[in-house]
Amino acid sequence: MASSCWCWSVLELHNIGHRYPGADTPALQGIDLQLQAGQCLGLLGSNGAGKTTLLSLLAGVLPLQQGEIRWDGERSLGLVPQQLAFYAELKVRENLELFADLYHLRGAERARRLELCIASTRLEDKLARRAARLSGGEQRRLNFAIGLLQPARLYLFDEATVGVDAASRQLLLAAVEHLTAEGHGVIYTSHYLDEIERVAQRILLLHEGRVRLDLDSRQLLDDGHGLLLEWQSEEPAGFGELLTRLHLHSEALPNGLRIPSLDGPQLLEITRFLAERPELPRLLRFGRPSLEQLYLRLNGGRL
Amino acid sequence: MRLRALVRKEILLLLRDPHALAVLFIMPTLFLVLMAGAMSNYLQDKPPALRLELQVPQASSYSEAFRAALQVQLPNSEMVAAGDPRSSRVSLPADFAESLLNDNAAGPALGFPPQLDKLSREHLRGAVRVALAQTRLLAFLEDSGDLDAGLPLAERLALVQQRTASRIEERELLASGDLSGRANASQLSVPAWLIFGMFFVALPMAGGFQREQQSGALLRFRALGLNLGALALSKVLPYLLINLLQFALLLAIGVHGLPLIGLQGLSLPGSPGAYVLLAISLTCATCGLGLLLAALARSAEQALLLGGGINIILAALGGIMVPKSVMPAAMGQLAEISPMSWALDAFLTLLVGQGSPADIAPYCFRLLLMAALFGAGGWLLFRRRVQQTQWTTY
Repeated sequence: MASSCWCWSVLELHNIGHRYPGADTPALQGIDLQLQAGQCLGLLGSNGAGKTTLLSLLAGVLPLQQGEIRWDGERSLGLVPQQLAFYAELKVRENLELFADLYHLRGAERARRLELCIASTRLEDKLARRAARLSGGEQRRLNFAIGLLQPARLYLFDEATVGVDAASRQLLLAAVEHLTAEGHGVIYTSHYLDEIERVAQRILLLHEGRVRLDLDSRQLLDDGHGLLLEWQSEEPAGFGELLTRLHLHSEALPNGLRIPSLDGPQLLEITRFLAERPELPRLLRFGRPSLEQLYLRLNGGRL
Repeated sequence: MRLRALVRKEILLLLRDPHALAVLFIMPTLFLVLMAGAMSNYLQDKPPALRLELQVPQASSYSEAFRAALQVQLPNSEMVAAGDPRSSRVSLPADFAESLLNDNAAGPALGFPPQLDKLSREHLRGAVRVALAQTRLLAFLEDSGDLDAGLPLAERLALVQQRTASRIEERELLASGDLSGRANASQLSVPAWLIFGMFFVALPMAGGFQREQQSGALLRFRALGLNLGALALSKVLPYLLINLLQFALLLAIGVHGLPLIGLQGLSLPGSPGAYVLLAISLTCATCGLGLLLAALARSAEQALLLGGGINIILAALGGIMVPKSVMPAAMGQLAEISPMSWALDAFLTLLVGQGSPADIAPYCFRLLLMAALFGAGGWLLFRRRVQQTQWTTY
């Protein structure tokens, strides 16, 4: 779903830093971020990059040591953690009603939000069932529904679709897109980069506690157009010399490369060269690399 | 609204936890009934009826006097014929009549069947001593001419019994609440297993908190900025209610249930206010322990082991499993460190000593002090624990 233009910031971070007791290096340093209403930020980074610390600071789980977090109004946060954060021995409806009470939802607003969350996670026929007896995917949907139930300006999703079947995943991603379309801010982390590619309008890559990349995802991906080549095993001998002779510039990708611009004769030369090799490339196409390929390149090959 | 929702959630979770319900209600009920039954013979107010065989090699008026005197001492006993292996035997010597005045050491020989309990043996020994003394006095009075030997035996014996009867005034001095030595099986079993069961609220209370933290629900609460006082209170309030329910239910079983199965029912003498005071003090103490355990344990399994272990040790020390009256003095002193012992002493002061609220106030004060200390410590640790809850990713 296309993002709308919402002009105010849901959240601003200024020079955020955090160091855990006894740690040699800070988990986060110098983080500046402004998240617009209606924007979904895909938060990427390898293990230890500082994603969880950043989410913990936003959720108020960790105390702020350095910098400033500025909210548009009061802190208002919906949360879908990776853990199944509900009561397994309560029924689905009881879980939802418990959290509706804790979110201070009453009257018509309560009924409307409950109905919306139940419908958007397709839990209508599971309401009378104990959460422990739901399938793994249904439990994820309940976890998701409890997060969505909270009226908030910003929603945090942390690996929210782990273990979910393909159909449920589409449902949940559509719910995230719906949130941004309604003008809510969203921060979304996932190891499924295709999900981030779908829902996020902006990518923030953390590396060793610092922002390594903060870009509009469409721009990032669209700027990546060109001829994409992916080798079966390794680059054929003489290919580098060919590119030099043709005065072509290339960027390395995991197991391949991208040639941003070339003309017809240059493409013909490359095709002819490759056709004479015993092993054809695994991929040869015009287009843009996937977010995963870009992420691996930007993050030095670390997942 | 939030507190009400959290309390409702705790109650629903407890009602759906069959293990917790079994530990809180079925286990103490079973223990109560089984132990009241098992100890009913040993700890009864009246000794059990004896089956008695009196062996008389040479009948005389004195052997008849002895038989009659013995029957008076053992009114509910049954005199049986020879050869019954379950009966106790009292064998008079062949020269019983002659030796009565000549040999002060002479007396009958006693034979006990192997199953006969200590209390019955002691009761028989006492009855034989009294019957022998009365027969000897009868012989002495007849020998000295103070008693007309021509009177019927029953009349002569009645005169002797009049002379040996004495009015003994008994006064109970309530120096200590440990009245387990005087308590009957119901008076001991009902409060003991009631207290034991009440302390077990610490297990589901602590286990539930661990599951809440492991599931990530606590993370949601923290992100929500939920008041920690409300969270702690939501853990304590349902178990306060459960404890009061256990108290009322198990006492009711003691009063009304035990007689239905042929056991001596419990009577509840004294002021109802005293029982209310004791119930509240005990409940506060168990919930204080539960909160502390919830904050100390790191997993539901640890809470189960730690809580179960602590309760069993407190019960063994505190006279729940073995009455303090049969413990050696040193063990009895050690029992004083167990809050279960304080609660049991308070109960026995009411049930056996017929004490007043003032009599049990020192025990209630100790229980409330424990509640305050454990509760305050538990609250501080609980708060720190919740504040240290971290965002978990895999």
